[in-house]
Parts: sequence; structure tokens; C-alpha cells
Amino acid sequence: MTVTTLNTERKLSERFHWIGRLLEGWSIYRKSLLGKIGLTLVVLFALMALCSPIPPWVSPMYQPMAGVDPDISYSVGPSTRHWLGTDFMGRDILSQLLAGARIAFMVGVSAAFMSVFLGTTIGMIAGYAGKFMDNLLMRLADMIMVMPALLVLLMLAALFGQLSIWFIVLFIALFRWPGVSRVIRAQTLSLKHRPFIEAARVAGASHLRIIFRHIMPNVLPLSFLYMTFQVTSAIIIEAALAFLGFGDPGTVSWGMMLQWVWKTGHMFRAPYWLLPPGICISLITLSFYMLGRAMDEVLDPRLRKEGETD
Amino acid sequence: MALLVVENLSVGYQTQKGYLHAVEGVSFSLGAGKSLGFVGESGCGKTTLGMALMRLLPSNGLIREGRILFDGEDLLQKTDEEMRQVRWQGIAMIFQAAMNALNPVHRVIDQIAEAILTHNPSRDKQEAYEQTRGLFQLVGLSEDRIRDYPHQYSGGMKQRAIIAMALACKPKLIIADEPTTALDVLVQDQILEETKSLQREFGISIIYISHDISIVADLCHDIAVMYAGQLVEYGATEEVFDSPMHPYTKALLSSYPTLIGEKSRLVPIPGETPNLIHLPPGCLFCDRCTEARVSCRSNPPVWLEITPTHKVLCHQCGKHCGE
Amino acid sequence: MEVWKYISQRLIQIVVIFFVILTVLFLLFRLAPGDPVSRMVDPNLTPEDAELLIRELGLDQPLWMQYLYYLKNFFTGHFGNSFHYGQPVVRIIWDRLPNTIALFTTSIILSALVGVFLGKIASWHKGERRDTCLTLGALITHTVFLPWLALIMIWIFAFKLGWFPITGMISEEIWLDPGAGLWAKSLDFLHHMVLPLATLFLIHFGSYLLIMRSSMLDTLKEDYILTGRAKGLPEKVIRNHHAAPNAALPVVTSVGLSLAFSINGGALTETVFTWPGIGRELVFSISHNDYPLAQASFLLIAIVVLLSNLVVDILYAYLDPRIRY
Repeated sequence: MTVTTLNTERKLSERFHWIGRLLEGWSIYRKSLLGKIGLTLVVLFALMALCSPIPPWVSPMYQPMAGVDPDISYSVGPSTRHWLGTDFMGRDILSQLLAGARIAFMVGVSAAFMSVFLGTTIGMIAGYAGKFMDNLLMRLADMIMVMPALLVLLMLAALFGQLSIWFIVLFIALFRWPGVSRVIRAQTLSLKHRPFIEAARVAGASHLRIIFRHIMPNVLPLSFLYMTFQVTSAIIIEAALAFLGFGDPGTVSWGMMLQWVWKTGHMFRAPYWLLPPGICISLITLSFYMLGRAMDEVLDPRLRKEGETD
Repeated sequence: MALLVVENLSVGYQTQKGYLHAVEGVSFSLGAGKSLGFVGESGCGKTTLGMALMRLLPSNGLIREGRILFDGEDLLQKTDEEMRQVRWQGIAMIFQAAMNALNPVHRVIDQIAEAILTHNPSRDKQEAYEQTRGLFQLVGLSEDRIRDYPHQYSGGMKQRAIIAMALACKPKLIIADEPTTALDVLVQDQILEETKSLQREFGISIIYISHDISIVADLCHDIAVMYAGQLVEYGATEEVFDSPMHPYTKALLSSYPTLIGEKSRLVPIPGETPNLIHLPPGCLFCDRCTEARVSCRSNPPVWLEITPTHKVLCHQCGKHCGE
Repeated sequence: MEVWKYISQRLIQIVVIFFVILTVLFLLFRLAPGDPVSRMVDPNLTPEDAELLIRELGLDQPLWMQYLYYLKNFFTGHFGNSFHYGQPVVRIIWDRLPNTIALFTTSIILSALVGVFLGKIASWHKGERRDTCLTLGALITHTVFLPWLALIMIWIFAFKLGWFPITGMISEEIWLDPGAGLWAKSLDFLHHMVLPLATLFLIHFGSYLLIMRSSMLDTLKEDYILTGRAKGLPEKVIRNHHAAPNAALPVVTSVGLSLAFSINGGALTETVFTWPGIGRELVFSISHNDYPLAQASFLLIAIVVLLSNLVVDILYAYLDPRIRY
């Protein structure tokens, strides 16, 4: 019975320790102006995404893709019916914008999660395993890093016809994991020789256990940090792909909206159509970047404002 | 008149938690051709003192009060431009070899020549290079390594190069901040011997900062023991070593092993340094002092002159010295 | 010399990577869904010509033989004819290559130099208004969506203000005019290049500025900077002669790491501005199912990226003596 109580105690204190660190990180994060702005903007975009089902629910003419205004079948400026105006087919731009937010988050978060998952796993293996494995994996990473993701996706579009959004997400992840893996590998290498790892090994822990129980928790904060950067690059790649006309034709993303405004020659005469999607893409990129910078400050004490430590 | 006279120097750092008293009320003097060693543990303010003498403190550093009379002129009254002239020509500095004291992307010869050319703009590059070669010979470095980059040098070679660079403008005073700390003992010894002979040859005054009291004992005429930013004992090296007065000095000496004499236990000094932001009112050492009395805690100690060349900052010494 | 060993190592790595790309492309083209033959053979050819081409490309042979044919064709410069232009692909991409190099190289050099310069200045005035403006400016410009920025640039400067041409690289009237001299032609070329160059520049200089700024701030804390001050060097000399060369090294590394990203941007810019470069050709050929042209454009872009990486590595080795010696 004593053993079980000890174990539960230990588990509880470990859990609290984890929460304690989170709260500590939050208090540091809060001090950063960039972090606050970034977080606010991201929340705003998230709200946009969450509100995207509202317009179609209000009226079918607000469907981003299929809805058409019975009275308008061309592009017209903002009005009370269409707060941002309509596109060349008479579809409501605001509902497209909201739908685009949903796609952006979907693409961004899934691709980021996948690439970080891959990158962290591969990075940990490369850092922990022997020289051969390390070399092999890092050479592979180098090769992938050299390739321009967008152009390779274009080639794939050429060969496979239209690409579905999940295919795009998967491939973005396959292209972006090397960047993460390098950083995680470096961190793993420095952790590998720390005394507590040696101690675990001496105590008889298997390699797998060491990786998941000891190395991973120390590497995860870095992974989270990189997730924010990965979100932005995923959103940009998808937007660029859609802009060029190779996105998933069934989705309305901001890049797709820009493609329509460009290809239908409305570039010069429909600022209400041209400006919102571009501003959204740029702003969401900026906000995640700010988020990432603030998180960086939390993780790396050297980046904090001078004069705070001893 | 002594080459360097420091009067009541107080230096500190502005931190988020308040003003940190790094150096408090330090006074000493140094004659031409003489050497003075500053000893104390890490954080006692000796490096800050060295930096302050050359006015090289970081942006949050502040010289609160005092005078630094170098060659009769108060350095604290000089403008930035005037101070630039004093640096290296008047006072030069030798840093730890382990530090990144040499710029990795420039050749060693260029960095030394730069010092020469900055203060002697009338000379041309060739003359500076010639002079640098002479300096290399002086410190025992091989001339064919002169065009190398710093990362190609060993620790001992880097230290010698740094010494050569310090001598480049023939300064009157050299401040050496832990120059041999990261080197192995053999090299340490060599460099110390060379430093001594250079000093004799050129009559340069040296301020030697170290936590290693044995090196200071070997090299310096006078010794100044620092604790928590204050000078606690000051005098001729022999006198201080033969009859250390301050409890801290005594503790320092007994924490080093001796080759001769009886084998005795090494006694570490218990406790920690005081809070330098909120200084306690009395003696700063009393918490760790074996001879402290109640009065030590409330009254700041005063200087007691044991001999004209040996004084100590302590309440208790009057009773022990019997003077 | 050490540096030759380093360069030759990198060269071998690049060749290996290129071969991998070549092979993967080969496999993709043959194994992707659909009829591989239709990708290699122009659907507009007569059946006899088509038969000839199939024999030539070895498409009736087993896969490994096709691979050998593929390699042979690559090294002898036989990329086939473009479906769309009806001309040999080699001629087309050879034509486009200088245009891309001109735009791409100029934009990278310009944004790196200006970014480094401004980053240096921002670090000197850390915390002041100048720094805040520069940092904020860098942050905003470098997160703007490139194609959208291109559209805005065209809209404002070409359409509304009419200062610059809307599309293209040259004005045919000037270049076809037998009387026009080199000066007039060059000026026209530069006139067309301003907007695409400005777009690429705006997007890229920000990241170099930010990296240089933080690199300078780190470098200024180094011990050799203290040595410089102790030596009595003027502040300007310390910053420019001692700090900046060290601080610039991470920027060079960053240029190398972001080359893939830069070429993406290059292709997008060329497309929006209708700048006749390889990037645009790639996009164009893909939308028109012109497979031979697409394949060749892609391979050429891959070569450009790999060689740029090599150039950056050589530059870094030149700038950092710790690598050379």
C-alpha cells in the first residue's frame, strides 16, 4: 500500500510540475507585446473560421462556392447584403473569406502537426541512434531541404491531375519535416550526454524508454515552437499553389480567391475583392510569426529583455 | 607621485532588482614598475574594478564616486575621446586566453598592428608589421605563425599573443585579469616567468587580478584582498602572507595547500557572499567570520594600520594586533 | 588546400542529389496514373511520327532500359519538343534561363546587401525609433503574401500611376526597332525589371535584416569586442571592422537555407509579371500539359538551386577563416 501511495504522490507532483511550468511560461509570454498582438490576431482568425458556417446558414446565397445571389451575377462592391461585395459570379466575398479562414487553419495546423511529428521523431532518432542512422537521415533531410516545395508540388499536380487538399497537406508535411528534425536532432545530441540519461541507461532503461520518457519531454517545447513556424509556411504554400490554379478546386481558400480575382481580370477594378484575401494571408502569417517569437522568448531565456535575470 | 592612485572608488550595476554594489570605497596606489595583485573569490568585484579603471563598463555599469588618478590626471574627468587615447597607450589590458579575446575573422598580425596604427597614425602598415614581429619575438612566439588566425593557436599561444598585443603601445600600466586561469600549470608557470622578466625589462606597472592567491604571491609586490566589493586587507605581499590579519585573508590562505610546513586540513569558508543590492549595515564578512562579535554586525569596520605597508579593514584586529 | 576539399565534397553531394532528383522524376513520370506515353509523345503527332518517337525514347522497352535511354537523352541534351511551342525544349529553356538568372540573382544580392546594412544600423540603435521602424518594417514586408504584393505593385505603380509597364520583360517596339541602340534596349529592360525586382526585394530583405540585427546584437557581446574597446578603437571601427564581418556569417547561411524558398518566390513573381523566365515557363507548361517542357524546366530549376547552394557555401568558406584553415 505504501508503494501505491508513493507512486500516486509522485504522479501528482509530476503533473503539477508540468502545469507549473506552463503557467510560468505563460507569465513570461504575457510580457511580450508581440506575443499579445500575435495571439489576439490568431484568435480573431480562429473566430473567423468558426463563424464560417454562419452565412450559409443564414441564406443559401451566401454559400462560398455554390451560392449565387439571384439578383447579382457579376462583381460588385460592398453593400448591406454583401458586406465585402461579390465576386465575378455573384458569390459573397465575406463568406468566402470566412471559409478561407477555416481552410487556412485546417491546412496550417494539420500540416504543421504532421511535419513536426515527423521531424521530432526523426530528429530524436537521428540524434540518439548511431552515426550511420544519423548520417542517413540527415542526408535525406538535406536533399529534401534543397528542393523548392512549391515547384515539386506543381510537378505532382502535372502528373496526378487535380490535387486534393489532404494530398497537399501531406506533401507539405513531407517537405517541411527536415527543418524541424535538424533542430530536434541538435537538442537530442546535447541531451544524450547529460548525466540523467546516463543514469537511466545504467539503471537498465531500454532505448525506447529513454527516448520517450526522458528525451521527448525535453524536446517537446522546441517542437511546439516550430509548429508555429510550420503553420505559416504551410498556409503560404497552399495559398501559392491555389493562386497558380493548382489547388483543390473543391475548396475555397484565400489563395483560390486571389486566383479568381487575377484570372478573371478584376485585379484593377475590384479592390474590395483583391485586398481582403491578401491581407488575411499576410496578417495570419504575421500573427503566427509573432506568436512564435514570443514563445521563443519563453523557451530561450537569453532572448528575454535584458536586466531580468540576476 | 605614484603612477596610479585610486581614491574611494565605488562602482555598481543598475539591475532590475536595484543598484548592485560591485565595488565600494576602494582606495589604493601603485608606483611605477611595481605590481599589485587583487585576490578574492568570484563576484568580489575585482574584474569590475579592472574594467572601471579603463572605463570599459557595460551600459548598465556606473561609477558612482571616486577618483582614478593616472599619471596625475583623473580618468573619470576625461571625455570619451581622451579616454580612447589613454587606453592601450597608457593602460592596457590582458584578458583570459580562454576568452574569445581575439577576433576570429582577422589574422593575429593585423589585430596587433591595428593597436599600433590606431595610436600612431603616422606610421604605415609595414612599420607596424615590423614592430609586431618584434613583439612576437619578445613573448616567445614563432614568427611563422604570425599570419595565422586565432583559432589556429593553442591556449598558451593565444595568451602570449594577447600579451604581445598589450605591449604594442608601450603602456605604463597593464591590468591582467586572470590571464592564466584556463591554461595548464606548465604553461602557466612559463607565462608567469616571462611576465616577470618583461616587467623588469620595461618597468611596466602591473595590476594582477586573480582568485589564485599563490600566483599573486609569486608575482606581486603588493597585494589587495577583496571581499564583496570592498578592500579588506592591503599591503606588501610578504607582510600579508607572513601575518595575515583579516579573517577572510586567513581563511583564503588556509584553503590553499602548502608544500612545506605541516600537513593540515584544508578549511573551506562556509556561507555565501552577502546580497550586494541591499548591503548590510555592518561588516560584510561577519556572517562567515570565525571571529565575529555582535558589534561587527551593526558597525562598519574602519581601516587599521598594522605597519605603514600593511593595513586591514576589521573590528577585531586591533585586539589581536596589540597595537 | 582545405577549402578545395570542402568544395569538392559539396560538389559531389550536389551531383548525387541531382541524380536522385533525376531518377525520382523519371519514376514519377512513368509510374503516375494515366498513360505515360501521352506524357512523352505529343498528341498532335501523326501515328507514324509518334511511333518513331516512341522507339527513340525507348518507351516500348522494359523500365530499366527506359531509364538508360532517359539518362542518355539527358546527357546528350535531347529533351524532346515542346507540345505547345512545337520547338525543341532545349532552345526554349536556354532562351529563358538568362532572364531568370538576371532577376533572381539581382534580387538576392540586393536584398542581402540592403538587409545586412539596415540590420546593422538597427542593431546600433537598438530600442530607439529607428530600430523599431526598421524591425517592424522588416516584419511586415517579409510576411506579406508574395503574389498578392506583386498584384498590388502592378495595380498601384503600373496601372494607377503608369510609371512602369504592366507585364513582360521588354517592349517589343524598342527591341525590334533596328535603329535602337544598346543603351535604349538596356534601359527598357531595366524599366521592366523594376517592379518584379522591387517585389522580390521587399519580400526578402526583411528576413536578412532581422537576422543581421540579432546576429550583431549577439556579436557585440563577444569578448573580442571588449578587446577592441580596450585597445582604444573608435566605436565605428569596432562595429564595422570587428563586429559586422562576424555578424554577417549567419546571414550568409540563411541565404543558403532559404534558396529553395527564394526560387518559389521567383517563379511566382515571374508568373504574375509575365517575366519570361524558367519559373514562369514551368507553371505555364504544367497548366498546358506540356510535359517535356515542364520536365526540362523543373530539372533546370533544380540545377540552378543546387548551384546557388554551392555558390553560397563557397562564399561562406571564403568569409569564415575557421573553415578555410
